[in-house]
Amino acid sequence: MQPPAASVEIEIRNLSKWYGTHQVLKALSTDVRRSEAVVLIGPSGSGKTTFLRCINLLEPFQEGEIRIGGESMGYQTDATGRRRRRSERDIARLRAKVGMVFQSFNLFPHMTALKNVALGPVRVNGMARREAEELAASLLARVGLADKLDVVPGRLSGGQQQRVAIARALAMSPKAMLFDEVTSALDPELVAEVLDVMRQLREDGMTMVIVTHEMAFARAFANRILFMADGKILEQGPPAELFGDPKTARLQAFLKRFREGHQL
Amino acid sequence: MDLLIASLPLLGGGVWITLQLAVLAAIVATVLGLTIAFAQLFGGLVLRIVAEAYLYIARGVPLLVLLFAMYYALPYAGIMVEPMSGGVLVIGFYFAAFMADVFRGAMLAVAQGQWEAGRAIGLRTPTILVDIVLPQALRVAGPPYVNTLIMLVKGTSLVSVIGLSDVTFVGRQIIERTLAPFEIFGAVAAVYFVICFALSRCGAYLERRASFVH
Repeated sequence: MQPPAASVEIEIRNLSKWYGTHQVLKALSTDVRRSEAVVLIGPSGSGKTTFLRCINLLEPFQEGEIRIGGESMGYQTDATGRRRRRSERDIARLRAKVGMVFQSFNLFPHMTALKNVALGPVRVNGMARREAEELAASLLARVGLADKLDVVPGRLSGGQQQRVAIARALAMSPKAMLFDEVTSALDPELVAEVLDVMRQLREDGMTMVIVTHEMAFARAFANRILFMADGKILEQGPPAELFGDPKTARLQAFLKRFREGHQL
Repeated sequence: MDLLIASLPLLGGGVWITLQLAVLAAIVATVLGLTIAFAQLFGGLVLRIVAEAYLYIARGVPLLVLLFAMYYALPYAGIMVEPMSGGVLVIGFYFAAFMADVFRGAMLAVAQGQWEAGRAIGLRTPTILVDIVLPQALRVAGPPYVNTLIMLVKGTSLVSVIGLSDVTFVGRQIIERTLAPFEIFGAVAAVYFVICFALSRCGAYLERRASFVH
């Protein structure tokens, strides 16, 4: 194994996770380079979402290591060799480095779009409210919502809510962004506006890890695709390679099912 | 009618006692209820067990029995409690259990995704609670909270049996002297009704405000 290059943003080594005795992630290892867009695909229950949630520690994991920008994410080994969870203060600080966008948006319903986005900078970075709201306004403009600053989430469409959620994550100036099936809860006609924002982020050089069921999007968008099944990465490579010449029987079967159901 | 007017000063004194009792007990019940709810949700094992035990006792023993215990049994243990403060404490402790359920339920009603969204931007538990969860939970808690307050107001009438001259007690005294139960009890009932009706209207208002735009 070669030492990680300087441009590696997310480093994952032998990540394993169990629910009780059931192992859901089996010694996953991969590096995500700066500005790379990595897309996770695989059947339901393969561990994609769990894997993604481990990266910013919404899920604890029992073995292995995740490093963001060189810093170990959730756990440290103390002098006696025992593995310990870091303090909540440390974990919160590290989480702020990784933006996360959820399938169900999870916007704060009692706050306007502007306040949703400004909350993190004010409460985590100690930014002055006025400054944070200027930042929030510029980010909301960037995702095409300059005219919705004072609107509460309940009055926004799903696509608009998801764009606010992206702006909220960007407000923390993350080193990488995680997207967990961000278009799955959207009406079909609203999917494009969210994907457009993601494309724009990619052009700006954002490092991204994406879980999706949108195969056409995955193929067009990813630098690299990871195919997961049963908690393992079975295959990975550029989209053309995985979709054009799948090596494993599992991936062949997975793609075949998709071709039967969808236009690919 | 003359009888009612003649009774007004006495009844007024009773109303004053009832109001004091209700307000003070409501404060005790609210503060203690919030504390218990927090203990249940965020406390360690010992705190959670203490909170649970407390809830089972308060739910499982009638208020009247608790009042008797305070007034008649405690003096045998050498503890003398003045009826007013004793009444406030017993009623407060008793309704704290129901308040705890209201607050705990309201906090649990806030979606788990709200916590996760807060954590994902680097917020820590106290900030998530204050800025995200409590503002939503308190809206949910409003109407059932008012319901519990109404129960509490009516519950205060039980203190008349331990010698506190609240409006129920005063009413009974007047009836013994005047033998006019219909008018006097009518007036006493009206007092409770007016207080509870006002609270109900507050509750209805909170309920209208409670729902977020969806």
